[in-house]
Amino acid sequence: MTATAIEPQLVTELADATREVFRTMVFRELTDGPRTERAAVQAGANVVATVAFAGKTSGLVAVYTTFEAANEITAAMLGIQPADVDGELPDAIGELGNMIAGSFRTRMAAVGGETWAISVPTVVVGKDFYTRYVSDVQRVVCPFRMGPHEVLVELIVTRTR
Amino acid sequence: MRFLVVDDSSTMRRIIINTLNKLGYEDVTEAGNGREGLDRLGGEAVDVIITDWNMPEMTGIEFVRSLRGSSVTKDIPVLMVTTNAAKDDIVAALKVGVNSYVVKPFTPDTMREKIEAVLAR
Repeated sequence: MTATAIEPQLVTELADATREVFRTMVFRELTDGPRTERAAVQAGANVVATVAFAGKTSGLVAVYTTFEAANEITAAMLGIQPADVDGELPDAIGELGNMIAGSFRTRMAAVGGETWAISVPTVVVGKDFYTRYVSDVQRVVCPFRMGPHEVLVELIVTRTR
Repeated sequence: MRFLVVDDSSTMRRIIINTLNKLGYEDVTEAGNGREGLDRLGGEAVDVIITDWNMPEMTGIEFVRSLRGSSVTKDIPVLMVTTNAAKDDIVAALKVGVNSYVVKPFTPDTMREKIEAVLAR
């Protein structure tokens, strides 16, 4: 593990935005894990939602979960049982990513006056994949636990030259 | 009291409908974008509209602008539910005729307050 070079306030605001979205829209309290800087792979994750942001600071917010956790999140958001989830998972996890990135944007506008545009969410569901970024970026992962499940929220920031 | 919920995300429509049900509002119809919303209003009377901003085909802003241009729908209260929380976004929404603004994520209490505020006008 190495210390992150990303501005600490960005990470704090992203973590707070994530906890707020889970508390109000997923009805789950997240507990924290240690933050780490990782090179590429999110082993074990098989659902990933990504939302890009662009402005004075540009980058990407990515939410990684297992399929089982994503199914539970989807059910909680929709107010149904996990066994009754039927095709709604990509839209729900995309909306989750959208709300986390949107809340993150709002918080950064409030504390730093930054105005960002954010993209529509992209959701990948599968297994045995990992994400890499070809451009020069900094990455920090905020690991959370939702009951027995791990939820990782990653901030990827394009390096300022 | 009949609500129309307009959002391209089926998840957000379900979350908003569940929230309305919790608040005691059971009569809710839904549409996937502004164009579908206008189609619904062609055949159904609605008391309050809750709409997203960013949608395909017809955005929430275009939808509200269209509502305000029609003698039939110009007075229906509209709440906009969105992640667009910048001051300029809120001003733009209010300017086209949005009555109140709910920033995601939101709680049922926030939704109740906003609904009661637009109904009290």
